[in-house]
Amino acid sequence: MQKTLGQIRHAAPLEIVAVLGDCVRAGRLAALGFLPGGRIRVSHVAPLGDPISVSFGGQEISVRRSEANLIAIRELD
Amino acid sequence: MSGVVSASVRVALLGNPNTGKSTLFNRLTGLRQHIANYPGITVERKTGVMIVGAERLDVMDLPGTYSLAASSPDERVVMDALAGRAGDPAPDLIVCVVDATNLKRNLFLVSQCAELGLPMVVALNQWDAATRGGVQIDHALLSQRLGVPVIPTVARSGGGIENLKAAILEARQHPQPATRIPWPEFIHHARERVRGEIERQGTSLSDPEILRLLFDADSTYAKLLPDPTAAGKVLREARESFRHHGLNPGPAEAVLHYRRIDGLLEGVVSGGGSTARTRDSVDAILLHRVWGTLTFLGVMYVVFQSLYAWAGPLMDLIEMGTAWLQETVAPLLADTPMLQSLVTDGIIAGVGGVVIFLPQILILFFCLALLEDSGYLARAAFLMDKLFGWCGLNGKSFVPLISGYACAIPGVMAARTLEDPKARITTILMTPFMSCSARLPVYVLLIGAFIEPAYGPVAAGWTLFLMHFVGAFVALPFAWILNRCFLRIRAQPFILEMPDYRVPALRNVLIRMWERGREFVIRAGTVILAFSVIIWALLYFPRPESVAENVRAAFVAENPTAALDDPAVALQLDHRIEGAYIGQSYLGRFGKAVQPVFDPAGFDWKITVGVLSSFPAREVIIATMGIIYNLGADVDEGSEDLRSILAREKWQSGPRAGRPVYTIPVVLALMVFFALCMQCGATLAVVARELSWRWAAGLFVVMTATAWLAAVLVYQVGSLF
Repeated sequence: MQKTLGQIRHAAPLEIVAVLGDCVRAGRLAALGFLPGGRIRVSHVAPLGDPISVSFGGQEISVRRSEANLIAIRELD
Repeated sequence: MSGVVSASVRVALLGNPNTGKSTLFNRLTGLRQHIANYPGITVERKTGVMIVGAERLDVMDLPGTYSLAASSPDERVVMDALAGRAGDPAPDLIVCVVDATNLKRNLFLVSQCAELGLPMVVALNQWDAATRGGVQIDHALLSQRLGVPVIPTVARSGGGIENLKAAILEARQHPQPATRIPWPEFIHHARERVRGEIERQGTSLSDPEILRLLFDADSTYAKLLPDPTAAGKVLREARESFRHHGLNPGPAEAVLHYRRIDGLLEGVVSGGGSTARTRDSVDAILLHRVWGTLTFLGVMYVVFQSLYAWAGPLMDLIEMGTAWLQETVAPLLADTPMLQSLVTDGIIAGVGGVVIFLPQILILFFCLALLEDSGYLARAAFLMDKLFGWCGLNGKSFVPLISGYACAIPGVMAARTLEDPKARITTILMTPFMSCSARLPVYVLLIGAFIEPAYGPVAAGWTLFLMHFVGAFVALPFAWILNRCFLRIRAQPFILEMPDYRVPALRNVLIRMWERGREFVIRAGTVILAFSVIIWALLYFPRPESVAENVRAAFVAENPTAALDDPAVALQLDHRIEGAYIGQSYLGRFGKAVQPVFDPAGFDWKITVGVLSSFPAREVIIATMGIIYNLGADVDEGSEDLRSILAREKWQSGPRAGRPVYTIPVVLALMVFFALCMQCGATLAVVARELSWRWAAGLFVVMTATAWLAAVLVYQVGSLF
């Protein structure tokens, strides 16, 4: 089972493996720079557990977990 | 100005959100601006005039966007404006505003835009922030690679603006489009397949539009084709072909552009990273589970207080001004009582009723501009999103909803900060359910007159507190139903950039306040004034002299010893005459006729008339009740006379004859009715302005029906005990 960004609850460094799905949301995420090979990190989790704020390339982007599930990741350590 | 319109030069200002694009627009055009809406949608269309040397240029400030992708009509605005599909011709020049502190992502839009083949100038904005952060950008090299001028600017302070203007003039004389991305062969191939299908269907789209059709999942351009189904099949196949080249169709366009941008930026950017560090340390507190939530509550408290309390003195001043004007004008028209009443009670009261909203609107937009420009609004939305997400609202709904507790009008207008049209419509429609300050006098009057004497001050306090949540309790499930069943537009993903923290520029904040205030007065004000005059007429006419004579005769018969020239007695008589007039006015007659409708809620005809006359503005209920109960309009919710008269009021006829009208179930039913009913013409006018008259009408029907049902339910259940 492929791990996705939506399942992450901690701030470890991650690598994007793929942006899944042929849909509007995938296109939108990619336009903001969520691209295969990119290094990202979950920097904040909202008080109620969702959404999450993701830090990469000098920017900070908040996504709901439902959208984050379109981003397949690999944990780096 | 004798400029020939057709010869004017049109400049489109384009850029990501949070790049300072609007600040740059203000810098270029000053206050020579015009705001309208794109037809059929809720996106603002801002245009302005820029004067450079002897030239006059029309500048369009396009909505901030990360991409030209268009899967909804709102998103297509930008592409349509650039492709000349929005009714206007395509612009002569694009000024692309990019954020120097986040160059890579910002160049994605520039790279997409190059496909349009239009002359372009790139404004490298927030140059100062980038330099402070230690980022060095070789803008000459970037300019050489992009093939267009790249001008460093600082829109906040005006730095580089003259260079930008010079570059725009230069680009007018020697127009240069930006160099395009070298597409791989399979993209050309896929595009030709799509073009073949479009031509087969007998239409044509421009090259950049065909690319949008190809790259965007569910592109709205498919709707322009005669046979969208056949086109859909070709598009799916074309997109699937990307997979043979190792690209998922969804992110394919972005992957290719970003690859190219990496090449463009090689050797252009060096250093940097420290701005991100300040942001991270502030975010560590402001997005923290505990401290972040506390800060959020504190900030919202200040916003709410400023609306609720600080606007108060200004509103009192406006009320005093209105009253003064009425008293000053009234004697001048004493010869023609009808005209006197129209001018004072209809027109002056109506204008006062428009101006009274300005303090709250200006204060809220002041706060909102501060929150937005400082970067905090995105954080607040992040913290609150989950709380509202389940019913189709989102984190940004919080500000409109909380503002609704002071007044729905600024709240509805504040919903413009929501980019997602679906969440925006839902937020606008839920805001009027929040218990605004105009409902408070009704609660205070009825709780003070009935709940407190019967159950004590603690119960009274709790009733008042709980009344404030009746609306919200009903609104959230409604939002859920609305989203599930009625709103047939796709929800946009809630993907939100957390911009760097910045000190807001006062100039921008003030311009925003001014725009909103002006817009409210011009667009909504006229409608509110019309409402006011109509209701005045319904309460004034018909007005036969015989009514006054009959009341006077009855009064003399009742009090044979009363001295009619005694001012106190005369006033008492006047109040009775006013009460009699309202009783037989068109609205009064209508109230008596529809009383059976409100009978299941326990309302008599006097309450019914009060309720009906409050439809344009619920706060008039107290004054109307004063008139109906022969106390004159000059009563307030603390009036002991009004309270005691309500407590003594008995049913005159019918099955309940002789029993008190205001029992506890009636009082509760009446309060619940006021909590839920759409009794505010000004809000309807603003909702109609933000959405459409159909939405406003729907909102009116739903809120009024819900209020009636809830009032009946409360009265019937309450009467069982």
